[in-house]
Amino acid sequence: MLSVPIVWTLARKILLHDRIKFSVAAAGVSISVMLVLVQIGLFLGFMQNASNLIDHATADVWVTGEGSENFDFSAPIDDRSFYKVASTPGVAHAERMLLAFGQFRLADGGTQGVQVVGLEPGGRLLRPWHVVDGDPRRIHEPGGIVVDVSEAAKLKVDKVGERREIFGARAEVVALTKGIRSFTTSPFVWADLDSARAYALYPADRFNYVMVEAAPGVDREALARRLSELPGLDAYTGPTMSARARDYWSSRTGVGAGFFTTAALGVIVGLVVVGQILYNGTLEHLKEYGTLKAMGARNSAILRVIVYQALISAVVGMVLGGGLALASKAAMAGANLNVLLTQNLVITTAVLTAVMCCLASLLSVIKVLRLDPASVFKG
Amino acid sequence: MNQPAPIATLSGVTKIYGSGETQVNALEDADLSVYPGEILLIEGPSGSGKTTLISILGLLLRPTRGDVFVRGERVTALPQRALPPIRAGTFGFIFQGFNLFPALTAEENVAIAIKMKDPRARNANAEARRLLASVGLENRMHHKPGDLSGGQKQRVAIARALGGNPPMIIGDEPTAALDTKTALGVMALLRELATVQGRAVVVVTHDPRLAKFADRVARVEDGRVVAVEKIEHPQAA
Repeated sequence: MLSVPIVWTLARKILLHDRIKFSVAAAGVSISVMLVLVQIGLFLGFMQNASNLIDHATADVWVTGEGSENFDFSAPIDDRSFYKVASTPGVAHAERMLLAFGQFRLADGGTQGVQVVGLEPGGRLLRPWHVVDGDPRRIHEPGGIVVDVSEAAKLKVDKVGERREIFGARAEVVALTKGIRSFTTSPFVWADLDSARAYALYPADRFNYVMVEAAPGVDREALARRLSELPGLDAYTGPTMSARARDYWSSRTGVGAGFFTTAALGVIVGLVVVGQILYNGTLEHLKEYGTLKAMGARNSAILRVIVYQALISAVVGMVLGGGLALASKAAMAGANLNVLLTQNLVITTAVLTAVMCCLASLLSVIKVLRLDPASVFKG
Repeated sequence: MNQPAPIATLSGVTKIYGSGETQVNALEDADLSVYPGEILLIEGPSGSGKTTLISILGLLLRPTRGDVFVRGERVTALPQRALPPIRAGTFGFIFQGFNLFPALTAEENVAIAIKMKDPRARNANAEARRLLASVGLENRMHHKPGDLSGGQKQRVAIARALGGNPPMIIGDEPTAALDTKTALGVMALLRELATVQGRAVVVVTHDPRLAKFADRVARVEDGRVVAVEKIEHPQAA
């Protein structure tokens, strides 16, 4: 077997000999990598937003109105349902929660749609997190609200103590969080359950979720099934509820298809560009490869040169494309867009890029496999 | 004086391309042996079958009929996959167009070929430098082909062909792209390989001036080896 340094040297020198062509290949792979990372990262960021309330809650089971498909637009339920849930065997603790839309009156007189999150006084299953200023416990004071600093541009609120109205009801900012965004792009406004009802124009005994803490030793799936048997209610474990929230937006609205189509286009761009460059390079060096074959070099040795060239393109493209994706992430953060570059995404994209580049080298590989060593004497 | 055993022999070799009305008999019933220490020129007009002859001789093509022997072994009986190692161990090739990797230095071009031919070869770079020095390129080892003259490129190609120490060199018009002085220099080098190192050298050429370097000249016409003429070596005279 030909040693790695020899093949590496040959592959690298042939590939880098024409810097312009290599730059085009590297640019193609880089753009491909960036498109994949940014598109999937944006998608993951949106999906994280779609389920972040659920993911940050410690509830074992979520109960909602029967037939509710979308976490952000759930059907209302009433206090009788809450008491039935709370008294179901296996339920150790239950809290009501309201998630509904309201109209936030801006300082300049305009309005901004918001998603009001109403929490029970003394509740412990869900609280605002990443608090950067103020005291979030004060939301249980009449009119106390918590908003996110990243939504300051929309709400025109950037400090504790500012007073506004939501659907005519008084609200005072008592704390600020950082980085808690909704999928719907309407800013979250955290409030006490009673205040939230006023902000969302909900009747006094209505809300739309019961967060449940299971008693020790109780199977959560079984508890969810038991709670789903209550009239007019559906219940899901926390992970299931989180997946449903994300799946609704990704698969039921075409959002996922849009992001993945663009990512797939990125892969196709990379395939075509790298394939073209490698194939042209192989054609240009066909006589040399043929000479080596004529002299007794095995196909495997030459194929390794081509595959190494593909992998070099992949590594350079991954590094440059990763850098571009990080730059895009920073730029998009300024526009309140969360590009979530997870370790899994980066590793998967790296593997995908390597596979893409190797696939792109297939034409070259076929050309070399079919190369007749006697062709070296032709012209 | 005993004739040494031939390195390669064609025995009744015929090569037919195509079939029916498009059939072409590129080579017919060719008999030819190549011996160590000799330069054998292959002459003939274009399309006469010279390239087919050296392709079969160098195990790059299989004959339609007839046998090829390499160092006494009937290689036409062997499967295709057995041929590359025999080629690597027996033949070095040089070409009219040099066929060097433009991205590699002279040393790298030769070293890569040595490694490609024999992955177990150690000190390929040292061997490449030795071979380049043997063809008078000790001062051009780190130059790329683009920085070398035609004659120097062909010398690199010759050094590459010598990688792995093959007993036989096959050249396809190796002087055609060179000026007269350089061409004669390259032929003198090949002559030296034959005389001093005992290698067999087979050269396809259209150039009658090269005959003075040859021990024998085989004339190919219409796919047939019509004559093999022995030439008195100038130094032997």
